[in-house]
Amino acid sequence: MLKTYKISITGQVQGVGFRPYVYALSSQFNLKGTVSNNEQGVVIYISGKKDTVECFYQKLITSPPPVSKIKNHTFKEIKTIYFNDFKIIPSKKNGHLNLPLTPDFAICNDCKKELENNKNKRYHYPFTTCVNCGPRWAITQTFPFERNNTSIEKFKMCKTCLEEYTNPLNRRFHSQTNSCKTCGIQLELYNNKRELISISKHNIFHEIAQLLSKGKIIAIKNTSGYLLCCHAENSEVIQKLRIKKHRPNKPFAVLYPSLKKLQNEIQLNAQQLQSLTSTERPINIISLKNYTGKLALTEIAPKLNQLGVMLPYTGILQLLANELSFPIIATSGNIHGSPIISNNTEAFEKLKNVADYFLQHNLTIEHPQDDSVVKFSTTFKQEVLFRRSRGYAPNYLNTSLNSKEKILAMGAHLKSTITFYPNENLYVSQYLGVLDNFEVYNRFCKTSNNFMQLFEQQPNVILVDKHPLYQSTQYGKELAEKLNSKAVEIQHHKAHFTAILGEHNLFEEKVLGVIFDGTGYGNDANIWGGEFFNYENNTIKRIGQLENFDWLFGDKMATEPRVSLFAISPKEMLPFLKQKFTLNELNNYTNLKSKNKLKTSSVGRLFDAVASLLNIADFNSYEGEAAILLENSISSYNLKKCKLYCKTNSTGFSGKEIITNCYNDLKNGNTNEQIICNFLYTLASTILNFATKKDYKKIAFSGGVFQNTTLIDMLYELASKEIKLYFHKNLSPNDENISFGQLMYYLHINN
Amino acid sequence: MKNKNVSSETITLGHGSGGELTRELLDNIILKTFSNPYLDQKHDGSIVKFEGEIAVSTDSFVITPIFFKGGNIGELAVHGTVNDVAMCGAIPKYLSLAFIIEEGLKISEFIKIVQSIKKVADESNVLIITGDTKVVERGKGDKIFINTTGFGEVHPKANISVQHINEGDKILVNGFIAQHGMAIMSEREGLEFESTIESDSTNLNFLVKDLLDEFGDQIKLFRDPTRGGLGTVLHEISNAISKGIFIKETFIPLEKQVAAACEMLGLDPLYVANEGVFLVIVDPSIATEVLTFMQNHIKGVNAAIIGEITNEHPNKVIMESLIGGKRIVNPLVGEQLPRIC
Ligand SMILES: [Fe+3]
Ligand SMILES: [Mg+2]
Ligand SMILES: [Zn+2]
Ligand SMILES: [Zn+2]
Repeated sequence: MLKTYKISITGQVQGVGFRPYVYALSSQFNLKGTVSNNEQGVVIYISGKKDTVECFYQKLITSPPPVSKIKNHTFKEIKTIYFNDFKIIPSKKNGHLNLPLTPDFAICNDCKKELENNKNKRYHYPFTTCVNCGPRWAITQTFPFERNNTSIEKFKMCKTCLEEYTNPLNRRFHSQTNSCKTCGIQLELYNNKRELISISKHNIFHEIAQLLSKGKIIAIKNTSGYLLCCHAENSEVIQKLRIKKHRPNKPFAVLYPSLKKLQNEIQLNAQQLQSLTSTERPINIISLKNYTGKLALTEIAPKLNQLGVMLPYTGILQLLANELSFPIIATSGNIHGSPIISNNTEAFEKLKNVADYFLQHNLTIEHPQDDSVVKFSTTFKQEVLFRRSRGYAPNYLNTSLNSKEKILAMGAHLKSTITFYPNENLYVSQYLGVLDNFEVYNRFCKTSNNFMQLFEQQPNVILVDKHPLYQSTQYGKELAEKLNSKAVEIQHHKAHFTAILGEHNLFEEKVLGVIFDGTGYGNDANIWGGEFFNYENNTIKRIGQLENFDWLFGDKMATEPRVSLFAISPKEMLPFLKQKFTLNELNNYTNLKSKNKLKTSSVGRLFDAVASLLNIADFNSYEGEAAILLENSISSYNLKKCKLYCKTNSTGFSGKEIITNCYNDLKNGNTNEQIICNFLYTLASTILNFATKKDYKKIAFSGGVFQNTTLIDMLYELASKEIKLYFHKNLSPNDENISFGQLMYYLHINN
Repeated sequence: MKNKNVSSETITLGHGSGGELTRELLDNIILKTFSNPYLDQKHDGSIVKFEGEIAVSTDSFVITPIFFKGGNIGELAVHGTVNDVAMCGAIPKYLSLAFIIEEGLKISEFIKIVQSIKKVADESNVLIITGDTKVVERGKGDKIFINTTGFGEVHPKANISVQHINEGDKILVNGFIAQHGMAIMSEREGLEFESTIESDSTNLNFLVKDLLDEFGDQIKLFRDPTRGGLGTVLHEISNAISKGIFIKETFIPLEKQVAAACEMLGLDPLYVANEGVFLVIVDPSIATEVLTFMQNHIKGVNAAIIGEITNEHPNKVIMESLIGGKRIVNPLVGEQLPRIC
């Protein structure tokens, strides 16, 4: 008996070769029907014997196309339809977009082989893609993910490409990003006077490799934005790049030409290997222990014992890599603090004094994205996202929400992101940057407007941070007024807490929230940053904190760790502080501190104070520098040899006590390494002691401090079996998670 | 200073009672110092003649400390109001002067203030034509509060209005910013810098008059960025005209010592108060002429073009930093709260 079924599949199912896969599968099972994309996902009508269709369905949902992610699937019988064959029906738009967007995918192995094979028509073609790989979000203009809704549309497929596209047996059957040398995207190499040097007909990558080997800086337009590249073993050119980019110390990422070359120089563990070759292909921060290569490490990662590395993830980078015998610096194409550049004219204007050459192409980048960054903790292999961008954005799949309201969350200020809940799905934008910078601000505004256009939804509710001076708060309130929607302020650290509760769906539990970061505007108008929260029954209560100390001199304190040390130090340490300040500074600061009213519980500043005390950093040249250098000053730890620097009391712990003990140990001749281990051990123990005293079984961690993977490892090592620890998994622990947290707070918290 | 004409050393409640002590204070200090045909009539008020439109501005002066490097509260009370009248495109002529004195103020200090007022009023070519003195109990004031109201004749060529501001108009300032605020702060908090920072408190009416004589209605706006500093005032203007303002950090006149002091305390000079600073918005066609004119004037030696009006970012003030990045300049809201993580 012939029966007809309707199968609906939602999730990351468009732009991932789902329809061609269904097509191929249906012919394997000899079934007839149709498959199409709609604004909800993929819809299949299929006719055949009940058993066969069920087998087909099982196969489909258990082994879907490699880069797809199924969220929900339904199967139901409908009135019988007689089909002559199986067809892919082009998508039609007849409602609002209600499915996950598709992130960019790193080049797949099949495509890589093709561009390296001189018999293949795509030999040396840098924009070789297929249903399993290539840019998606970067080129998305509107939905559904069809060629004519992307910026690749202006390249009309040639006859052979079209044949591939229409041939069910071809890997590029219905591949929306399909193109080749004949019909595709053109590369052009310019010098910084904007004179054309060569075009893609010649072996342009050989030429670029030559230039790189000669110490030139090249701005390369990739598919998600510009990268600035130079020889990573040439300290001179790296130093030059630092000066021109106005980035004195912040580490650069290194692109290795191949996994083999990388593994020759740096030892990778299984997690790192997997991550470095995944479809997201992020930068991995890896320990430099036993490093054997020739990288100019002093210039690449000043004073660090770790390095950010990545492997080629686009045809462009792969073809360049194939010509390279050395690793290269690959850093976002911008002036430090500005957003990553994606437009050709802008690149010339802004980078003409930075880059010697420009490799450009004529594909428009709709959504520029930086490279994502991850790090695994050494012992427990906890994955920590430092930056969530290319490959991950803009979906957040791991949750199901149920609210009739359309909600837009504006996030924080420094590591800004936007979260939008316009339909049944949740979208978390790529990292957008520091909002003081006007260009970042513009991109931030554009991204939120773009979200609204894309989903054709306006928010009823706009969520902002409580900080009155965050640019995101101000813009959110302006937008709320304009759209006549409700604006709601949410406290920064509570948003961090609900972000981690949301990631692990802990809203039915009783949880201790440990939120440690640099700064956030507290409910008492002080600056918070070392908070213990209780969560239960949809309420959050602050139950402990790092004991308040003075917050001095506005933003200056966050950029000068020595000021944190000064703020937290007891009087007895004044003689020690003399080496770090001029006499005028010390007199003025002592005077002002005695009258100061603004207080803080920031653990970030406590890290700064320790770093300054140990003469590791008195000034920061990039955000979090002191804390990063602090963690990098130790190579390993032995908890059995660590000692506690403070007591845990019922309301928290004291930074002054910690600093005093660090200082005493320093005076007694202890090494920096031992003091840092003790300090981190103290934080980990204090957290666990606090939890044990109050009988918590679950602890959730968020805030920038938990980018410290040593602290994470210590927590795992020290925690008793009864206590479960929760760290971020799909989001970063830093302020990138605030927008998501704001949304979770709004949906789940009553007080 | 001990004054032989007044019988006590400090101000007492009696000086405000309306009795003999009050008369003594008025006659022997105030009227004597400011003596002029209007005041000498000792009437309840004064009747004055004006030609054409009148500009009026009032301000109360409350400051700790009352004496500081580069001035005192008395000078401030004259300069502040004279400048506010001038900013309307007017020539200040007359001032009212009212004191609220806290019991216990030293007579010598009071005299010093009154004499400063006399001196700078003369310099500014304004007459004190009416006044008032009250004394409040100890603890109910802060040594002395002064209110002044200024009256001026609108310059015949003046046509000052934010409505006249167009895209491309240039913004100039007459000199170094942030000096007054830093001087007051260092005095009040007892701060030490390599050299002392002096308040820039001064009158601006002559430069304003000369500019109006020369350029008339091509000048669109005068504004003195006192409280809240340059940043806040630019923001107000930007909002008032619904246009953007673009400035360059390198163009803003900032004295090295003041810059270093701001840096030391983590203060943004854009939000530090000024007293002798004003900004002018002019048609771009005359901007360099106005600049040269100001630089040749004693009150504008350090004048500079700091930026311009733009349609690109309505209601926003954007500053290009030293290294070329563009930063959003927010209005000052309360204290300078940290935002960096
Ligand atoms: Fe935070
Ligand atoms: Mg006034
Ligand atoms: Zn592929
Ligand atoms: Zn083609």
